[in-house]
Amino acid sequence: MKTSSPATLGLFSWGASLLFASVAFAQVPDAAPAPAAGGGAPAPAAAPAQGGAAGGGQKNGSFLGKDVPAFDPGSEILTWDGKNWNVNNNRVFQARFEKYLNAPEQTTAIDKQYQAVIAQILALLAPGNANTQNIDTAFKLLPVGSRFDIDARLCDSIADAVYSAWRAENAQNRLANANAALDAERTQQYWNAQHVSAGDNARENSSTGQSGRSTKGGGQKTPSATETYEDTMRMTEHTKRIAEIEAQIKGNQIKRELNSIQAKVEFQALVLQFFLQRRFQHVLIATRFYRAVFTDGDTKLNVGKDTKDLFEKSSGMPPTVGTIDSLANEALRDVREGVQAYNFLLEKQELESATKRLAEAFTVGEFVPEIRTLTRDKKRQALEFTHKTNQLISAIDVKDDTLAEQLVNDLGKIAKDFDNSKPMGIIGASKQVSDMHLAKARNAALKGDNATLEAELTAATELWPRNPALAELSKKIFSQGDVQQKAVIDFEQLLSQKNYRQIYEDSPRFMGALAFYPDKAAKLKEVMENMKTIEGALMRADEMVRQNNYPGAWESVEKIAQQFPEDNKLSKTRADLTPHAADFVRTLQDAQDMEKRDQIGSSLAFYLKARKIYPASDFAGDGINRLVKKIVPES
Amino acid sequence: MLIAVILVLAALAGGYFLFGRTSDPYRTYTSLPVPDYLQNSNSLRGNVYKLDATIGQSLQWSPSVGRLFSVEVGGEVLPVLVPPPFNSVNIEKGQRFYFLIKVEDHGILTATDVKKS
Repeated sequence: MKTSSPATLGLFSWGASLLFASVAFAQVPDAAPAPAAGGGAPAPAAAPAQGGAAGGGQKNGSFLGKDVPAFDPGSEILTWDGKNWNVNNNRVFQARFEKYLNAPEQTTAIDKQYQAVIAQILALLAPGNANTQNIDTAFKLLPVGSRFDIDARLCDSIADAVYSAWRAENAQNRLANANAALDAERTQQYWNAQHVSAGDNARENSSTGQSGRSTKGGGQKTPSATETYEDTMRMTEHTKRIAEIEAQIKGNQIKRELNSIQAKVEFQALVLQFFLQRRFQHVLIATRFYRAVFTDGDTKLNVGKDTKDLFEKSSGMPPTVGTIDSLANEALRDVREGVQAYNFLLEKQELESATKRLAEAFTVGEFVPEIRTLTRDKKRQALEFTHKTNQLISAIDVKDDTLAEQLVNDLGKIAKDFDNSKPMGIIGASKQVSDMHLAKARNAALKGDNATLEAELTAATELWPRNPALAELSKKIFSQGDVQQKAVIDFEQLLSQKNYRQIYEDSPRFMGALAFYPDKAAKLKEVMENMKTIEGALMRADEMVRQNNYPGAWESVEKIAQQFPEDNKLSKTRADLTPHAADFVRTLQDAQDMEKRDQIGSSLAFYLKARKIYPASDFAGDGINRLVKKIVPES
Repeated sequence: MLIAVILVLAALAGGYFLFGRTSDPYRTYTSLPVPDYLQNSNSLRGNVYKLDATIGQSLQWSPSVGRLFSVEVGGEVLPVLVPPPFNSVNIEKGQRFYFLIKVEDHGILTATDVKKS
């Protein structure tokens, strides 16, 4: 017989659990027996099971889909009904595994009592010990075991199955007794029939004078027609009764066979159900009871073709009670070994392997004592690793490279055997490309290329949404945007107020902010040029004041003041200079006044006087030129 | 002797006075009231005045209109237009001239006669 390795066995068990789920719902013998017409044990479970096979099974392949589940131990990928997933990266499994890792160890007195009961039952039913007395004792212990919560009343199920089997056996005995009685009656009927037939012959012989009956009866008269008729009728009744008895005997024989098959099927279904539930101790108890109850040596499992094929292909063994028994034993041993490996790897701080071994052992033997009694402190170490690995997967999924990198480092510290090459490769590539996009985004921002900036920021965000550099750049851009927006508003406000000096003083702020607004930038440029003119005039005025040339200083300011009357500094300087150049100013004002009154001669006289006061006066020179041309037009 | 000296001095003073009176060619005309002119030239429009002034600078020249000069009178600077009939008169900066002037429209002072003093 081909044996499977423990690992294969474990994985097989897990994969088989899914397969057997379909068996549990649709488990039937290849040729389902017809329901018993009467007598024998009823088969309430067989009917729906049959229907399930005939309905869903035959038409749709199987209850859970068309494909038989397949498990690849190399990749830990389970393929089922066209879908693939990693058994270790499955939400349901993870949730159940984490629940187990957080649960306290089952080492209480009650747990120990339960295990003692189970161990006692197994010992009583062990090969060599299974005599009638031990079987009865074990049977009596089943209700005791079922009283424990952890048992989930599975021992009761075994007890029910055994009881039903025994009832079925008793029914068979009753049928056998009935057949014996029927057989006796049949014999009697034969005898009666023979005697009736003998009476007929005697009468016949006496009428013809032949044969020995005449010698015995001597002188018997030939039977009358009436007597002959009566004999014939009696004969017919006996014959009819014999036929009925024969039919009843045959019927009872069929019932016995059906009862036997029915009882086995029910028991086997229970054994398989325990196997699917990975209640391997109960599998052993059930198989040992099975052998004790059904002593005819027929241990072949009545399962469907698919299940039979799977058994034969995966384990190399035909599906029998013995096969299930050995698989359960192997599973128990495998789980024990898995827990031992976990403890050893834990000591070596190789948490990755340790966690995998424990997950495998848990998958196979969730209810095995070695798994249930593992201390919570030890389990918590695997839990921490599991949490962090799950967190790492999530962090990589959401592209939180910072957290992922931190988790990789943490995992490296707590698990010496943690292979960080793959996550670090993913994280590194993501970071590098994200930073490249950020660099491009920075350049685009500097150039004012909003389209490229947006595209590069989007690309960088998609790659590494929680990139600190991204947050920093975004903050800068946003703050810059705020400052820029405020600067634009301020500029417009100052422009409307004709407060060019304030614009001039804040020009560095406006220059950067208005770079994206060409029309406003042109305005700013104009303001700046005007302010340079004003400042130039003021500087010239200052210089002239230093030379005591107040008329010159005043005129320098006055010329610009007419152009920029809103400039406060200019106005103030002009006001300050006016008293110092009062004569010149008054003369010029008189000239302008006369010019306005069209008194050209007087006006020209004042302009000439003004030029006498300040020979370099442009005002005076311009006035003179203007009026001279009026008086003496150029030819 | 003393009397003789007094008489001589009186003769000299009288001579000077007489000379001064006789050297002003437009002694019958009144001088231009410069402050009034500067205040409101329109009020003097059409009047003829004499003007004893020093030539400042030539402001403009036109063959048809004449020459425009700035002249200084009592610390004021006035523009005087010398029409073409006086083109032959050589007028230069710093020279002192007697002008007979008429206050024309717009207060323009136009020389009707020019005499070098």
